Amino acid sequence: MADLTQNLDKPVRNALTENHENERKLTILEKIYLPEIFKGLWYTLKQMFKPKVTMMYPEEKWDPPAIFRGRPVLVEDNGKERCVACGLCARACPPLAISMQAEETEDEKERYPAFFEINMLRCIYCGFCEEVCPEEAIVMSKDYDLVYHSRAEAIYGKDKLLVDKEDLKERLDFLKEYKNRQFGQFWKFRQDNNIHSVRDRDEEWDTGLSLVDLLESKKETD
Amino acid sequence: MIEIVQKGKSRPEMVINMGPQHPSTHGVLRLEVTLDGELVTHVRPHIGYLHRCFEKYGESVGDYGMVTPFTDRMDYVSAMNQEHGYVIAMERLLDIEVPERVEYIRVIMAELQRIASHLLAVGTFGLDLGAFTPFLYVFTEREKILDIFEKSSGARLLYNYMCIGGLMRDVDDDFKKDTEEFVRTFRPKITELQNLLTYNSIFIKRTAHIGVLPPKVALNYAASGPVLRGSGVKWDLRKNNPYSIYDRFDFDIPVGEGEVGTLGDCWDRYIVRVLEMEESCKIIEQALEAMPDEGDVQQNVPKRVRTKPGEIYARTETPRGELGYYIISDTSAKPYRIKARAPSFVNLSLLPAISRGSLMSDLVAIVGSIDIVLGEVDR
Ligand code: SF4
Ligand code: SF4
Repeated sequence: MADLTQNLDKPVRNALTENHENERKLTILEKIYLPEIFKGLWYTLKQMFKPKVTMMYPEEKWDPPAIFRGRPVLVEDNGKERCVACGLCARACPPLAISMQAEETEDEKERYPAFFEINMLRCIYCGFCEEVCPEEAIVMSKDYDLVYHSRAEAIYGKDKLLVDKEDLKERLDFLKEYKNRQFGQFWKFRQDNNIHSVRDRDEEWDTGLSLVDLLESKKETD
Repeated sequence: MIEIVQKGKSRPEMVINMGPQHPSTHGVLRLEVTLDGELVTHVRPHIGYLHRCFEKYGESVGDYGMVTPFTDRMDYVSAMNQEHGYVIAMERLLDIEVPERVEYIRVIMAELQRIASHLLAVGTFGLDLGAFTPFLYVFTEREKILDIFEKSSGARLLYNYMCIGGLMRDVDDDFKKDTEEFVRTFRPKITELQNLLTYNSIFIKRTAHIGVLPPKVALNYAASGPVLRGSGVKWDLRKNNPYSIYDRFDFDIPVGEGEVGTLGDCWDRYIVRVLEMEESCKIIEQALEAMPDEGDVQQNVPKRVRTKPGEIYARTETPRGELGYYIISDTSAKPYRIKARAPSFVNLSLLPAISRGSLMSDLVAIVGSIDIVLGEVDR
């Protein structure tokens, strides 16, 4: 330490020029720069005939696998969001990116988010919201190139968040598979579970139909 | 930007700001360099441009599990290692045993990440010194590792893969095959990199005898990782204080020997990184062999864990050195205090000591050789 703090004003050369005892001497070939340069060039030349690894990105879009965690979106099921505004995702979100307002509805699910916002400037794509959601209503999509021109634009409301479930099929299938593995083979997302109502619970709900189809079929039978 | 200071009778000195936008400061680091002609008389690193309040944030998020994604963002080049450190600390605090398989997967992930991180370090180091070719090829290799990570975790840079008591999800079905394939194809690439860069005389001229860090100074400054080992000190937590299951593997700790210059120069720190990649390959191979094929990867640890009051300090070896997490818990669901001991921060503090007296152009080499990640320096 001592030798470091003295001579502060006078510059000391630590770029030593004498040879160190263990120093490996360069061979003549290594001392002439040229072979090294040609080696580099030769290597590059060889690579020209190998398959290309570069993707010409904006022209050529990369299609991520189903496991990819892109921007979180709300699942739209037959024109409505599945979300019941339970607030679990907002609670699990580490950077507090989600906010919502619950409201009652005449629908079977009784509650829906009057507004649902994700601040994409805060979102860190952790996927916790998807994990905690009991309705499989918020999932990570494949979108990865997000652009906004202002901060206000980066706050995504329901208009930008809602994506039809058909477009998210891959991810939903993946989640099903993954949860099956995790909880044993019995796990299955039941769309009718989306109906949180305790009204009319006297019926057989495990019909495998979606909420709207269920209501349709009910209408038909009536 | 430039300011001439006339100090008494001595020669005029010039103060130059290097960064925060300088490409070779590896992020947003500002160096206030005092020059005497071309010789550096003093360097003052100014940090804090990337400060995101990791520690305060860790104390204010909902629970312990929600801190993990933030640890990723400290050192975004080696996110897996950061998570590994944190979950190990938490598991020790909670007294949880994790399943064998989880330990193996974690170690493989951490070692793959170490290779990826060293590739980046070596590539950009060469780039700083004007060697553009190796940079492109190491990135190709790094990409393969990121592909492996992506298949299992779903992200390419910030994985959020490990959680307290296990992993977020099981590895991909092809994981074993992919990793084996990667290690097999990667070995010759190390040789290729060595051919391109290591004994290139231009590269040696730019790195040998430059930024010499004597072992004693390194220890005094509490340097760790390749910076310390480059000075010939054989200290690696994976061997000296094994955590996880590192005691089961057979690997060496490469140290700098002053092969082409003085012991502890930039070249030594570089070669330690290159040799460490080879050692990581060895660990991965052994781990793949011994890894149980089946098994649960998630313990029955609740999402919101509560601990008994206590404190823990757990340290792990990340590609940049010794990462320590100091966590104090009260009975609530979130940590009372989290402190991260970031290796980059400590290693950066060496910069004034080792760059005094070097040329301005060598400062770039020195900064590159200590391999800082500003996200971790500022946290
Ligand atoms: S957790 Fe799911 S159902 Fe609950 S508010 Fe969030 S998106 Fe809606
Ligand atoms: S992905 Fe993570 S950060 Fe983004 S909204 Fe979901 S929980 Fe919040």
